[in-house]
Amino acid sequence: MPLWLLVPAFLAGAAAIIVPIVVHLRRRPTSKVVPFPSLMFLEKVPIKAEQKRRIHNWFLLSLRALALILLAVAFARPFFTDASSLAATGSGPTERVVLLDRSWSMVADDRWERGLNAASEAVAGLGPLDRASLVVFDQGAETVVRGAPDAQPIQAALDTLAPSSGATSMGPGLKLAETILQDSELAAGEVVIISDFQANAWNGDEGVAFPEGTTVRTVVLGGDEVDNRAVTQVALNRERVDNRDRISPAARIVRTGGEQEVEVEVSLELDGRLVQTRQVILPAEGATGVAFDPVTVAQRHTLLSVSLLEDGLPQDDTWNVVLSPGRATSVELLSGSSRGTSGPLYVRNALEISEEQTFELRPAGDLSGPQALAQRHVVILNDRAFPGGAAGARLAEWVTGGGGLLIIAGERGGWASAGPDLFPGQLGGVVDRDGSRGERLVGLDYDHPVFEVFRGARQGDFASARFYRARAFSVEESDSVRVLARFDDGSVALAERRVGEGRVLVWSSTLDAFWTDLALKPVFLPFVHELVRYASGRNPSVEAFTTGQVLDVADAEAMESAGLGEVAEALSASEERVALVPGGETVDLEADRPFLSLDRAGFYQIRPPGQDDVRPVAIAVNVDRREADLTPLDAREVVAGVGGSVDGTPIGSGPQGPESERLRQEDLERRQSLWRYLLVGALVLLLLETLLSNRMGSGTRTGGGHARATG
Amino acid sequence: MSHARARSSAPGAQFLDPEVLARIDNLELLARTVVHGFLNGLHRAPHLGLSMDFAEHRPYVPGDDIRHLDWKLFGRTDRHYLKQYEAETNADVVALLDVSASMSYGSGPVSKIDYARFLTACLLHFSRKQRDRVGLVTFDTEVVEYVPASARNLELALHMLDRANPGRPGELRPALLQCAERLARRGMVFLVSDFYEEPDVIMESLSLLKGRGHDLMIFHLLDPAERELPGEGSTTFQDLETEEITPVVPEQLRAGYKEMIEAHVAALRERCTGNRIDYVLLDTSQPLDHALFRYLTIRERKARGR
Repeated sequence: MPLWLLVPAFLAGAAAIIVPIVVHLRRRPTSKVVPFPSLMFLEKVPIKAEQKRRIHNWFLLSLRALALILLAVAFARPFFTDASSLAATGSGPTERVVLLDRSWSMVADDRWERGLNAASEAVAGLGPLDRASLVVFDQGAETVVRGAPDAQPIQAALDTLAPSSGATSMGPGLKLAETILQDSELAAGEVVIISDFQANAWNGDEGVAFPEGTTVRTVVLGGDEVDNRAVTQVALNRERVDNRDRISPAARIVRTGGEQEVEVEVSLELDGRLVQTRQVILPAEGATGVAFDPVTVAQRHTLLSVSLLEDGLPQDDTWNVVLSPGRATSVELLSGSSRGTSGPLYVRNALEISEEQTFELRPAGDLSGPQALAQRHVVILNDRAFPGGAAGARLAEWVTGGGGLLIIAGERGGWASAGPDLFPGQLGGVVDRDGSRGERLVGLDYDHPVFEVFRGARQGDFASARFYRARAFSVEESDSVRVLARFDDGSVALAERRVGEGRVLVWSSTLDAFWTDLALKPVFLPFVHELVRYASGRNPSVEAFTTGQVLDVADAEAMESAGLGEVAEALSASEERVALVPGGETVDLEADRPFLSLDRAGFYQIRPPGQDDVRPVAIAVNVDRREADLTPLDAREVVAGVGGSVDGTPIGSGPQGPESERLRQEDLERRQSLWRYLLVGALVLLLLETLLSNRMGSGTRTGGGHARATG
Repeated sequence: MSHARARSSAPGAQFLDPEVLARIDNLELLARTVVHGFLNGLHRAPHLGLSMDFAEHRPYVPGDDIRHLDWKLFGRTDRHYLKQYEAETNADVVALLDVSASMSYGSGPVSKIDYARFLTACLLHFSRKQRDRVGLVTFDTEVVEYVPASARNLELALHMLDRANPGRPGELRPALLQCAERLARRGMVFLVSDFYEEPDVIMESLSLLKGRGHDLMIFHLLDPAERELPGEGSTTFQDLETEEITPVVPEQLRAGYKEMIEAHVAALRERCTGNRIDYVLLDTSQPLDHALFRYLTIRERKARGR
């Protein structure tokens, strides 16, 4: 068993072995001094010369010498380099990172418990120079413990962890691990990924590459089929009856796994009270719909939940939404005088045909009055010129303050060149298109909110519509001017200009059946709705959010874009707010930290402090249903994706160089700590020597020095 | 010489015990008590064989001590005559006392210097009773104190004796040379010392006095421990005069040491005898009567020899 020394220079201390020999040979002064009249005769007593140089007690000398040798070797820090020792250290001191999946799918079966055990085992065998870190991840990642020298802080952290409400994404956790390994001074690294490895958690382009010398190991917790039932969607069909909103919820229930159909109970709650239940038959690996009777929504921020009995994955058994009575978009439609054409008929009908009563057409009024356009969201000038004078100024002022103006050009639409600077371009004369064939609408900007909903296949066919006549429309695009659609000859069909807080959209043709047959196409209705909705600048209310999102309740614009405009309006009345989060805890949303992290599924309710009688603002949060898809991913794909080797060998050639070798030796020595045993042995020998020498007494003949001639 | 302590059964013999004497602070009282007791013992112990024969008569002169009137002769002659004893020789008796540091040693209650004081005081007192002129010299490497021999200097001598305090190293030859120069008249000189020098040096030093015609008597004073080598186990001995130290295991050296010291004593005795110097070996554990008896014996012999 080869023995090496970490600090061989300390062996020089063994030279101290000469000390006990010198002490042995020299006179040992005693503590007892006796005065005597004269040493005259003592000095004359003859002694033999060799007695002075004789060592009398070889055993004591041996004990002392051996103790000194053991001390010297202990300080030199010896260690064995046999095969078993080398195997225990591997490639030397290691930076170990444990990645633990805490997404809500880990609740299934005993995956979480097995994950905790695997994490404990991963850090159980830490060497004296090893470092360990614990990173938990769901759709994000967090370093819980970093660079711990032993397992204790990690074990303490594991005892406090619980699965989250987040979905799974491998990327953030792997990125954190990559950062930890790159910052580490240790040459060898090891990453242990503990997860159920869902396929939707990995897309292969996370851009993570672990450094050389890293070993990647996986602990796969999934794979077993789970019989899961989930409420995946709740559709809310609104209708207005007697000036009240009645909503008919319809839920979609999906079952994955299972072998036989089962009967499940689906319940509907309003503001926490059970109002309806339904019994449905759910086939294995199937889905079904559940329709509830209409309910009346009389108050704002009404909480609605559709729930199933809890199963193996309870997070997706409830779907939460927040309902408020609808607020229609107020539209003022100003049209030119009728010439026997359909005029604004198609537009009016399109706006009036809305299952959700989204638009409210108001009678046209005096645009110049001080209360003109109050409570209006959109003004449509259909085949009508932009008004001049006070009305025009008032309209321009209103647009700049946030109103939406839709100009349907027609024959008479337009504006004076000396008019306000509102318009995206300049309308020209009427242009007849290609005979009976007409022009088609192409070049739609599907990134724009007007056309975004039509992006998918069969989401809206504009290509079949013909445009026989349109106005010439010259537009110079800029930061505030944007062309949203063109005809196939390249001329502009639709353009937008942002003006202050508002916007102006100009449609260069008509929205009737005279210049075009678009009004006869199925896409016409949703197109008009999107056009007017965008012009109004009002985002539809979001009935529910997904876990992982963060709301800045003090940022009105952010709240508006998140569909919480009216929530922002209510919250802006006070700077002090208290949020009640799912689970019953409260969070103070202070003026300097107004962030609300939607980490849990359920209802978040916000109200100013001390106003318990005020109905709180509510936000519904659901878990990401993609997490319910437990389709497994081959863990080797993840290992390969980060540059690791599926056979467990280190990335690259492993840690090399003299520094790595030195660390490896030091790690070996610390693991064995042979110096402790040598030190104990030396102490035992010194104790034994002390006891023996005291018991033996002097045991050494020390006589006079030189002989003197007697008289 | 026996090392056992000889105790006289004569009355007053307890006053010869050094331990008893050590309790008497007054040296004059001590000397007077010892001598008186000793002499009483002598008078009541006829086997001692010591006599105080008178040498001759002389006519009575008014003022003489009438205790010495010879009434027998008056009966025969009808004239008053005084007895004149042998001791009434009016000689000089000088004590030479070694006060070097080695004399301070003592293994028991009485150190060598204490014993030497007792002895010297007694001998001086005794000599004064014999109408001798007494003197004292204390020395180490040189003369420390000098009291000339005189009929009136006994108290002074006892006082100096009381003050004698050993502390310095000693060397016999230069000291005795100074002594010899100071002692103008011939007389009796007794030297009290532990004689830790080579016999040659000692004899050479003594010859300085002997050569001046003095009657020399030496008292070799040793502590019992000096003759036995005290201690057990590893011990460090320190020389009182040189302050040298040496580690010693006494039990391993004792036999050789005793041989050496007995050889030294024998050498001194032999050489003193050969040079007609009276040599007395004294042990501080023994009573003073032996020393006193020897002193008287020697004095008597010398007196007869005149």
